[in-house]
Amino acid sequence: MTTLTFPLSRIEGHAQVVIETQAGEVISTHFEAMELRGFEYWVQGAPAEQMPVIVPRICGVCSTAHHLAAVQALEDAYGVEPPPLAIKIRELMVLGQLIQNQATSMFVFTLPDRMGLSSIFEDGDSEDSEKIRGEIVGRALQVRKAGTDLISLAGGQFIHPVKAVVGGVTSGIDSKAAAKMREQLAAVLPLAVDLIDTYWNLSIGMKDRIGDWGDDSATYYIAAIGDRDHNFYSDEIRVMAPDGEICDSFSGREYRDYLTYEETDYSYAGYTTYKGETIRANSLARVNMGEKAGLSHTDHFLAKFRESFGKPAHGILLYDLARGIELAYGIERALSILEEPLDNEDTDVPYTPRDGEGYGLIEAPRGPLIHHYQIQNNLISEANFVIPTVHNVQAIENALRVVAERYIDANKVDMELEQAVGRVVRAFDPCIACATH
Amino acid sequence: MKRFAVLQLSGCSGCEVALLNAEQWIDNYDLEYMTLVMSAYEIPEVEILLISGGIRSEVDLYKLRRAVCKADQVIAVGTCAISGGVANLGDRQAVNEIFLNEADRLHLPDILPTCRPIDTEVDVDLYLPGCPPTPDLFMAVLEEKPDLKIARTVCQECGLKKERDMRPKHLLGFQQGEVLSDICLVNQGYLCIGTSTRGGCQAICTLAGNPCVGCRGPSDAFIEKDSQVWFKSIQRVFSHMTDIPGTEIDQALRSPQLSMFLFQFADYADIGQAPRPKEKVI
Repeated sequence: MTTLTFPLSRIEGHAQVVIETQAGEVISTHFEAMELRGFEYWVQGAPAEQMPVIVPRICGVCSTAHHLAAVQALEDAYGVEPPPLAIKIRELMVLGQLIQNQATSMFVFTLPDRMGLSSIFEDGDSEDSEKIRGEIVGRALQVRKAGTDLISLAGGQFIHPVKAVVGGVTSGIDSKAAAKMREQLAAVLPLAVDLIDTYWNLSIGMKDRIGDWGDDSATYYIAAIGDRDHNFYSDEIRVMAPDGEICDSFSGREYRDYLTYEETDYSYAGYTTYKGETIRANSLARVNMGEKAGLSHTDHFLAKFRESFGKPAHGILLYDLARGIELAYGIERALSILEEPLDNEDTDVPYTPRDGEGYGLIEAPRGPLIHHYQIQNNLISEANFVIPTVHNVQAIENALRVVAERYIDANKVDMELEQAVGRVVRAFDPCIACATH
Repeated sequence: MKRFAVLQLSGCSGCEVALLNAEQWIDNYDLEYMTLVMSAYEIPEVEILLISGGIRSEVDLYKLRRAVCKADQVIAVGTCAISGGVANLGDRQAVNEIFLNEADRLHLPDILPTCRPIDTEVDVDLYLPGCPPTPDLFMAVLEEKPDLKIARTVCQECGLKKERDMRPKHLLGFQQGEVLSDICLVNQGYLCIGTSTRGGCQAICTLAGNPCVGCRGPSDAFIEKDSQVWFKSIQRVFSHMTDIPGTEIDQALRSPQLSMFLFQFADYADIGQAPRPKEKVI
C-alpha cells in the first residue's frame, strides 16, 4: 500500500490530506484536521454571559459568526427578542464578514491556483502574470478591507467583535458614520465587480486546462438563509435534495433530529450527515437555493451563473464562482441597509438571565453554525458547537476521491494531483480552527 | 527588503488576519512563509519571525524549534504565543483530565499536557500582546523605528468622561445592553480594566461600549510584577471611583473571560517563568 500525504496551505488552520492506494486503486481519501484546543470542554463552568466574548476566539476568521451565535443562544435561553434595529446592525456585521471572507477566499486563497503562483504576495514569473497580479492585489485588499471596516463599524472591532449583547447591540450607527461607510462601499463596488469578472474568466481558463469543474455528484445542500431572498439572518435551516427541490427544513433547536455527527480516529473535525446522506454547505448551497435579491450586480451574476451551470449546480469548483455572487451581494445589501436610519430607535431590550437551554443559529460564510448551551446557576454546564466546515467533510473526502482516481493509476501518480487536492479543499474554504474548536 | 515569516501554532488565525489588514508591509517586506496565504513547506532564513499560537501539540513544539534557528529576530505575537491564551483555560484542573482523555486519537499528533507559551521553549526577542494586536501594532514591530505613539494605558486612549458623582454600588453584569456612549464604563459599573491595561489598541473595545478585558496585558508599571500587584491596582481604581465592594471586584477578576488575559505576563498556570522585561514588550 502507498500513502500519499499532502500538507495544506491557503486555508485557515492546520490540516492535511492523506490518500491511500494499492496497485493503482484508491483505498481511502482522508481530510485530516490536526489541531484541537477543546472549547467544548473548558467553557464548562464559564459564566454564560461571558460566552459572546470567549467564543469568538474559536476563530479569528469567523469570529463574527461565533459572537452572534453565542448572543442568540443566550437570548433563546433567556427568552429575549432583540429589537429590529439591533437585528439590522447584526446583519451588517454578518455582511461585513461575508465580504471579508469571500474576498479572502477568492483573491488570497484560490486566485494563486488560477495563476500558477504559490501566493498572491509572490512575484509572477512572466510579465503578463505579474501585470495581472499587480492589478488584482491592491484592489482585492481594498475590497476586503471594506468588509473588515464594516465589521468594525457594526461590531466594534473586526476580529473578535464586541457590540452584540444579549438583548440587542450596544449602540446604533449615526448617520455620519453610515454615510462614510456607504461612500467606502460604493467606491469598492465597481472594483469588486471588475475583480469578480476577472476571477470568473481566470476560472474558466483553469477549467479549460483541467477539463471540468470537479466532483459533480448530485448532493444534498443545507443553508440557513431565508426563503424569500438571500437573507443571511434566518431562523431555520433548509435542505435541498439532489434534484433541486427543497425537501426539508428545521430550526436550530431540532438539529439533532436531522444532522448526525460522528467522530473519526484520523481527524479532530469529525463529520456530519443529513439522515445518513452526504451534505454540502457554504456558497454553492446558498446560491443553489437563493432567488433574485433585487440588487443589480448580484442578480446579474446570479443569472449568469444559472445560465452557465443550471440549478442546482454541483461541480465543486463552482463554489469559488458562487463566492463572487455573494461578494457582490454583501456589498450591495450593506449599501441598502446603510441607507436606512440606524440610530433612531432602541438598540436593546432589558432581560433577566435564567437557567435552561438555548440555541443560536447563524448562516456563517461556510454554512449553518449552531451554538447550543445548557445553563445551570448562570454557568455553562454543557456546550455544543455545530460547525459549518464539519458539514462539508464528507463532501470534501468524496471530491478528493474523484481527483485521486483521476490522477492515480497502477503505474504512476500524476503530479497534477497535488494541485488538484489543493483546489478541491480550497473550493470548500474549510476552517480548521472552527471545525476542531 | 527585509524578509519575514509567520509561523502559526495552535491559535485562531486572528493574528494573521489582523496582519493582512496591515497592508503597508506588502511593498516594503518580503513575506517568505505564512501558510494562511502561501503554499510553502519550509521556513527559509529570515530576518524576522512572527510566531502566533501556543504550544498545544507535539507538532507545534517540533515546528517551533525548527523555525527559530532560521530567524535573526523572534517575535511572540498575540496572547496565545505569550501565555497559551484562551486554550490555557483548558488547563484548569477540573476539565484538564476530561479534555486530555477526549483528545486522544490514534492517528493524530499528541496533545501535550498543558498549552504553553513559546518562551518556555525558545528565546523570544520581542512580545507583541493583543487578542489580536491591531494592524497598526503589527506595523510598529515590523518597522525598525515605529512612529506609532503608544499610550501608557487603554484608559488614556479611551478618554470617555469620568463622572465624579456617578458611583455605582455593584458591578453590572459583564455586559448589559444599555451603555451610555460618552461616560467612563467604570462609572457605569462595568468591570473595565482599561485603567491599567497597556495602550496601543486605540481603545477600540471601550469606545464601542465594551469593557476592556485586558488583552494587551498590564502597562509597564505592572508588567514585571506578580499579577496580584496588578489586581490590587485595579481594586484601588474601583474603590476610588465607585462604591462597589472589593470582594465583588476580586471575584469578578478571576472569571474566565478575564483570566485568559490577566495573567499573560505573570504567573498563569504555574509555569515558573521569570517576568518578561518591559523593554521587550511593545
